[in-house]
Amino acid sequence: MHEVSIIQSVIEIVTQKALENKLTKINNVSLKIGELSGVMPESLHFAFDSCIQGTMLEESTLSIEKVSALGECKDCNLQFPIEHFNKLCPNCKTFCSSVVRGYELYVNTIEGD
Amino acid sequence: MSEIKVVESILHTHEELTSRNKQVFNEKGIYVINMMSSPGSGKTSLLEQVISKLKGNVRIAVIEGDLYTTKDAERIEAQGVPVVQINTGGACHLDGKMIKGALESFNLDDVDLLVIENVGNLVCPAAFDLGEDIKITVLSTPEGNDKPLKYPRMFEDSGAIILNKLDLLEFTNFDKAEFYKDINSLNAHATIFETSCVKDQGINELCTWLNHQIDHKKTRSWITPKIGLPEMIK
Repeated sequence: MHEVSIIQSVIEIVTQKALENKLTKINNVSLKIGELSGVMPESLHFAFDSCIQGTMLEESTLSIEKVSALGECKDCNLQFPIEHFNKLCPNCKTFCSSVVRGYELYVNTIEGD
Repeated sequence: MSEIKVVESILHTHEELTSRNKQVFNEKGIYVINMMSSPGSGKTSLLEQVISKLKGNVRIAVIEGDLYTTKDAERIEAQGVPVVQINTGGACHLDGKMIKGALESFNLDDVDLLVIENVGNLVCPAAFDLGEDIKITVLSTPEGNDKPLKYPRMFEDSGAIILNKLDLLEFTNFDKAEFYKDINSLNAHATIFETSCVKDQGINELCTWLNHQIDHKKTRSWITPKIGLPEMIK
């Protein structure tokens, strides 16, 4: 799913942060990706390797931290792990009213010189 | 070597534009639908039917998203409502910037309901909010009842789901009981409609529900900015 446009956006964000922090070379880019976001880490790696050519990120590596999905029950306030097809509160068996995390898609940290 | 904490959303440019679009919709009290489905599920046909039934009472505008051609926009234009075609030129979804550009073509003071017909695609559009009040996903019976499980995100995020082409049900192996079971496990809060455009089935129910949503948005938007209102009521 649109992994190339995601990586292009990552390159923009990282380049801007690098310039703000007077870095001239990026060594690592670390992303946080929620497991419900629909983005495949394998495809991101593939897109990253292709898109960083000729940019400041050219020699950098990509780390991806997967964020597990967590829902919250409005009846008992319990927070519990959810999946696409299983969002029932283990206590009350009601459908989870809000997703606390799992849709993340952000640049967490960068390392550079 | 130094490590820098960034914590910036990868989609931040899109999200900023979307939130500005949403603010405009709320200020003007416009109810906005992001209509999604795979290609050929009948989004445009449904829209034609809804427009023909609602246009006497509701001021409707439509944004048509397609990779290429103005075929859908021409069909909507024939209904006599303002329409803007966005051609993404191959991109798989609409985003905040495209919507912002399209909005410039409308007089938003004359719009109660804005329907954004997204690019036919069950995957990518689900990840891009457009500032809408509701996402509506259309699934047609010939596509098969397995689609919600295969493409969960879109069905998961939808406030309403329309099961279309009900007239073809008997010619397919679509299992309605399985469909309802799967939707219930994915998104128990979704309102579900069953429709057939050729048999004019379920469209009135959909329109009644839409009218209610549009009225609700108008009331809400009228009350929200008037902070002094409780004082006046006293």
